[in-house]
Amino acid sequence: MNNITLSNVVPEIFASREDLHSDIWHTEVTLERGKRYLIEAASGTGKSSLCSYLYGQRGDYRGDILFDGENVASYSTNTWCDIRQRHISILFQDLKLFGELTALENVRIKNDITHTKDLKSIVDWFEELGIGDKLHSRIDRMSYGQQQRVALIRALCQPYSFILLDEPISHLDDKNSDIMRDIILREAAAQGAAVIATSIGKHMNIDYDKCLRL
Amino acid sequence: MRLIWKLLRKHISVFELAVFFVANLIGMAVILAGVQIYSDIKPMLTGEKSLIGNEYMIVTRPVERVGIGAPTFSAEDIADLEDQDFVVNLGLFAASQFEVDGSIMFNGRRLSTMMFFEAVPDSFIDVTSKDWHFEAGDKSIPIILPRNYLNLYNFGFSQTQKLPQITEDMIKRVELGIRLSGNGHRDDYVGRVVGFSDRLNTILVPMDFITWANSYYAEAKADRPTRLILEVANPGAPEVTNYLAEHGYAAEDRPAESSKALFLLKVCVAVIVGIGAIFSLLSMIILTLSIYLLLQKNITKLENLVLIGHKPSRVAMPYNLMTLILNLSILVISLAVVYIAQGKYMGYLSDIAGHSLSATPTAAVIVGILLTLVIVAFNFLIIYRKIREISKKR
Repeated sequence: MNNITLSNVVPEIFASREDLHSDIWHTEVTLERGKRYLIEAASGTGKSSLCSYLYGQRGDYRGDILFDGENVASYSTNTWCDIRQRHISILFQDLKLFGELTALENVRIKNDITHTKDLKSIVDWFEELGIGDKLHSRIDRMSYGQQQRVALIRALCQPYSFILLDEPISHLDDKNSDIMRDIILREAAAQGAAVIATSIGKHMNIDYDKCLRL
Repeated sequence: MRLIWKLLRKHISVFELAVFFVANLIGMAVILAGVQIYSDIKPMLTGEKSLIGNEYMIVTRPVERVGIGAPTFSAEDIADLEDQDFVVNLGLFAASQFEVDGSIMFNGRRLSTMMFFEAVPDSFIDVTSKDWHFEAGDKSIPIILPRNYLNLYNFGFSQTQKLPQITEDMIKRVELGIRLSGNGHRDDYVGRVVGFSDRLNTILVPMDFITWANSYYAEAKADRPTRLILEVANPGAPEVTNYLAEHGYAAEDRPAESSKALFLLKVCVAVIVGIGAIFSLLSMIILTLSIYLLLQKNITKLENLVLIGHKPSRVAMPYNLMTLILNLSILVISLAVVYIAQGKYMGYLSDIAGHSLSATPTAAVIVGILLTLVIVAFNFLIIYRKIREISKKR
């Protein structure tokens, strides 16, 4: 997948609003593979909604979203599952980890269907992100910042053309935030993928190709 | 898959599944037993080894006046009957035309009586015995008695006269003294009872014996038969009763009896299968509710699994496997129950039928597999629909 185009897209609840001054809603914007985007937004401007639309989680919008020129409105659940396994990866704002599984199991439950990383690479990421001792800890016993790092590792365990990061460093200190950035840039470059990060203020220190205001 | 199972097994209610298991097991076992009993008993009522003899009728002309010579059937009467569509086969009764004197030693005394023999073609006889043959020169005559005679003695005569009851085997061991006379001959024979008939209400000897003895002891005249035996497809059919009424013939058998028995069997089986079906249906409702509740309790996990890229069919797999294992175990156990039950009642049925019947629960296996397929397909469908509903974007 090479590009994502949003054509006149607006969340249904904003449809009647005239005062939207946005680089994304109610306009035409194309996100290209290989580039780095920062989507800056104030709370309540539809940042997570945008991620949900791009990820096929929600469909409550007007306008068209096109993947390589193809309207995604007609995609079936199985097509979305394919896209989620191979084309778009996401780090959810609410992480969507499974509390009763261990950190490693949470990563494996994704890697088992994509078979992209070996155990060593996964363990190396855990070490690099400073949670090497948490491999076998249950997720619901870990801090939010630690969980955020596990969720990132899970997001990296698949092939993708676009990686969506919904407030990826909201609970990380600068040091861990920089480690995370390095890993993301390294992996995205290896895959030739676009990085799309959202932020409500604090954002990763990346040389973005484009900043879009929501 | 192990991880998905670890996630999704949470909230599985062992109690609900156990209730489903027991209820469906009872339902399935009852249904399959009903079907198997039906398929085992039906051929005994309708098949070649018919118990009640529904396919055979004995036809006579009623005695209208007292006098010499019973009413007989002419060659035209017989030809006309043979032409009827409902007659599958027709046999003539041949009677002995000579004097028969039977005797038996009883408590040291010799009891003797005048008697007569009749014969019908072998294909009409419901007793199989290796001793059922006669050749000129034999000194032993095989005899088949109506089972009614024995019953009359055992349940009537012996009871009132304080005499011991006798079994079929005892009678088969007794030697009857038979003296035949006529046409200037007088000879002694030994009569042996080789079997008991439910169908033919007369003292039967082989046709070969009657043919030979009638020519030897009686200068056999072509005798007109007084009784006919008919094999008919359906003795209760209106064309049969109409024909008999039109010609003034009487049927000795009670043709409606077998259809009544078959009807009764069908009603019983319908009731049994109906009860089983209610059990199964209720258990299905329990399982459906249980699955819905389970999916509802795990809804966030299911949503998240689909969101990280698991296809609904894969997410459904653990639940499908669970219902498959449950239903297959139910099938296997209920088939085992039917098999054991069949082993027990077949012994009893074999006693009634007078020959051993093989016990293979074919009908139960076929119906059980079909029923399980339907139940499993239904389970898969509701699981898949619910998971699809959860997976759809909002």
